[in-house]
Amino acid sequence: MIVFVRVDDRLIHGQVVLGWGRVLKPDRYVIIDDEVAETDWESELFMDAAPEGANVSILTVDEALKRFEEGIFDSERVFVLVKTPGTLLELVDKGFKVDKINIGGLHYSEGRERLTENIYLSEVDREALRELAKKGIKLEARALPESEKVVLNSMVI
Amino acid sequence: MWISARVEGMDYYSNKKNRVKGIIVAHGNLAEELISTTELIVGKVSDFYAVSGSNMSSEDVVKRIKEILSDGETEKAVIFVDYFGGSTYTNSIRAVRDMDNIYVISGVNLPIILDFVTKREAFDFGEMLHHLIERGKESIRILK
Repeated sequence: MIVFVRVDDRLIHGQVVLGWGRVLKPDRYVIIDDEVAETDWESELFMDAAPEGANVSILTVDEALKRFEEGIFDSERVFVLVKTPGTLLELVDKGFKVDKINIGGLHYSEGRERLTENIYLSEVDREALRELAKKGIKLEARALPESEKVVLNSMVI
Repeated sequence: MWISARVEGMDYYSNKKNRVKGIIVAHGNLAEELISTTELIVGKVSDFYAVSGSNMSSEDVVKRIKEILSDGETEKAVIFVDYFGGSTYTNSIRAVRDMDNIYVISGVNLPIILDFVTKREAFDFGEMLHHLIERGKESIRILK
C-alpha cells in the first residue's frame, strides 16, 4: 500500500525520515529515479541514510512500475520519493495511479523561480506540475506534517 | 602575559603550511554558530568553513564544498556533518567521494570542533580522526 508520494530533491533526508516517517511509519521507502538507480555509490548512500528497520528500494521508473504492478509491496506501508515533478509525470503517463502528491523540497538553484517558501521551479518542473494538475491530481505543498498545506493546482495551471 | 601567549599560539596555528582544512556542513545556522562559538572560546580560527544546507539545492551545497576544497592549497581536510542520514551527509559524500585525504565524520559536537582547531597539526592525519571521534563520544555522558 502506498501511503505517501513526495517530490523532494533530497530524497531520503532528515525531514523525510524524522518529520514524515514518524507520522506515517512506513515499512519501505521507494526511491524512483533512473539516475540514482543506475549509480551504485549513490544507491548505497541512500541505503545508508535510511533509518534502521526501514527497507529501501531504489528503482528506475520502469522497474518501479513493474514492481507495483506485480504487487510486491502490497503488504507494506510504502513511502514513494522522487526528485522531480518530471519523474512523477512519467510514472503517471505510464500508468502509475495517484490522486494526491506532496511537494516537499525543490530547492533554489540558478534559473529556478520561487513558487512558495520551499519550492523553486525550473520551466521543466512547472510544465510537469501543470500536466499533473490537468490530470486532476491534487498537488499539495507541505514541508513537514505540521506545516501549513498549500494547494498548488491553481498556481501552476 | 596571558594575552601574548595566546597570540603566539594563534600565530602558530594560522601560519602552518599544509594544514588540515575543516568544513562544518550542517542544517539551519548550526555550522556558522558552531564556528562563532568556537571562536568565542579559542579566538579566531582560520581554514575553517561553514556550509549551511538551508535554502540551497543539493547541487549548490555540493558545489560550495568542492569550491572550498579546490583552492589549490588544500591537501587534507575533515568535513564535519551534523546528522548521519541527513542531506548534509549525502551531499558531503557526493562532493568528496573521489578525493583522497578528505574525510567525512558525522555527529559533530562542540568538543570535537574545539579539539580539531587546537590540535589539528599535532596529530598524524589518520590518527586525528580516531582521536576526534573518541573525544566526541567521551564528552557524551550521563551526569546526573
